[in-house]
Amino acid sequence: MNLFLSQISAIVWKDFVTELKTRELLSAMFIFALLVILIFIFSVNLSVVKANEVGPGILWVAFLFSGTIGLNRSFMLEKENGCLMGLILVPADRTAIYFGKLISNFVFLSIMELFILPLFMIFFNIDLLAHLLPLLLVIFLGTLGFCALGTLLSSLASNLKTREIMLPILLYPLLVPIVIGVVRMTGQVLAGEPLSEMMNWIGLTASFDIIYIGVSIMTIDHILEE
Amino acid sequence: MVDNHNPSDSAIEVRDLRKEFGVLKAVDGISFDLKRGEFLSVFGPNGAGKTTLIKILAGLTRPSFGTARVAGYEVEEGKSEMRREIGVISHSTALYADLTPMENLIFLGKMYGLERPKESALMVLEDVGLAPRRNDRVRTFSRGMLQRLSIARAILHDPSILFLDEPFTGLDIHASNVLKEQLQALHNKKRTILMTTHDISCGLEMCDKVALQVMGRFAFFEDVEEVSKENFETMYFDAVRNNQFTMGIRNS
Repeated sequence: MNLFLSQISAIVWKDFVTELKTRELLSAMFIFALLVILIFIFSVNLSVVKANEVGPGILWVAFLFSGTIGLNRSFMLEKENGCLMGLILVPADRTAIYFGKLISNFVFLSIMELFILPLFMIFFNIDLLAHLLPLLLVIFLGTLGFCALGTLLSSLASNLKTREIMLPILLYPLLVPIVIGVVRMTGQVLAGEPLSEMMNWIGLTASFDIIYIGVSIMTIDHILEE
Repeated sequence: MVDNHNPSDSAIEVRDLRKEFGVLKAVDGISFDLKRGEFLSVFGPNGAGKTTLIKILAGLTRPSFGTARVAGYEVEEGKSEMRREIGVISHSTALYADLTPMENLIFLGKMYGLERPKESALMVLEDVGLAPRRNDRVRTFSRGMLQRLSIARAILHDPSILFLDEPFTGLDIHASNVLKEQLQALHNKKRTILMTTHDISCGLEMCDKVALQVMGRFAFFEDVEEVSKENFETMYFDAVRNNQFTMGIRNS
């Protein structure tokens, strides 16, 4: 068990050191998310529509689309110079590789989201601070599900020549339940509703998170095999 | 859990190994034994299935038929335990270009569960003569340095068996000689080595056993003392010519 955890932390450490040196991933994700929000802010007339109603959709489009850039990059890094082969040759449980990459993707996306939230608050003139804790819970659930499924599918797509195209094609349809859940919950949180009012959505999203992690654990061994 | 470890004199035991990709037989009924500490050089033209053979033995791909035992473990069943016993140098370096050699090796050391990954990393970097460049990014390294670093990566966890897939490709004479010395040193330390190469003189000079793989089969497998370089060269170039002819027929 100790080796399993230290292997996961080694993968996370390696991804962080790489990102600290290159600063490619976070900057690309942040700029993309920022551009999405800027484009929407100029296309939506906030004097006609309520920010609370359109904001959640825009926020999650920014998170998920920029997150896809991160996922694509995540296993591309492993494919360069055959590093994934080197990783597979290590006597590590393949689920350790999966969880290492999942945690890295989750943390990078969460950092980007933390930078985007204040800008979203300013541009859409929404007081997020009043609903910060429920909002963070919703973002946690959405980001976890996205990264759980995205990490699995990016490892699958990394073996394809058309991986940049295939990942969104595979990922987005399967993400629909989670996206519906988190967009609805974000809207309710911004409207000031308590979490107790949205237990069905929380249950649905958390269930899909668990299902996607479970499916990943069961299939990652076969996916990482050549 | 079933213990499938069967220690024996043989480091590698291969029986009727086959790997098919559709109609293409990359490995076609190979059988051989390699004792602990022996060095086998496998020659063969491009497309003969040498890399596939190494991939099967390293547990990177499943055979279509046949069995292979490496370090006493069934390749398919004992993968995790077996992987502790092997080091692989392939066409690609398996190194993270934006990390330094130290960072690459410390990462791998942690993955292998080494007690002192930093010390082990420094030790193997000294062995391959890259300690002075330990804090430079791998991206800045020449082909020869990358190949030496690949050796460091492969021997970091002190494996008893090494698989080398054309390690001399792309090296200049100096880098080639340095690599040869390092492989000789590993052989002297009684590590079992299976190397594929096109460099006949170098391959024959270092090995104990020699094989010629053609169209997925071992056309020749002998102790190196039984082989004269001239005869082997003739045989090798005949095989290359025949292989090109056959490939031409296949393509037409």
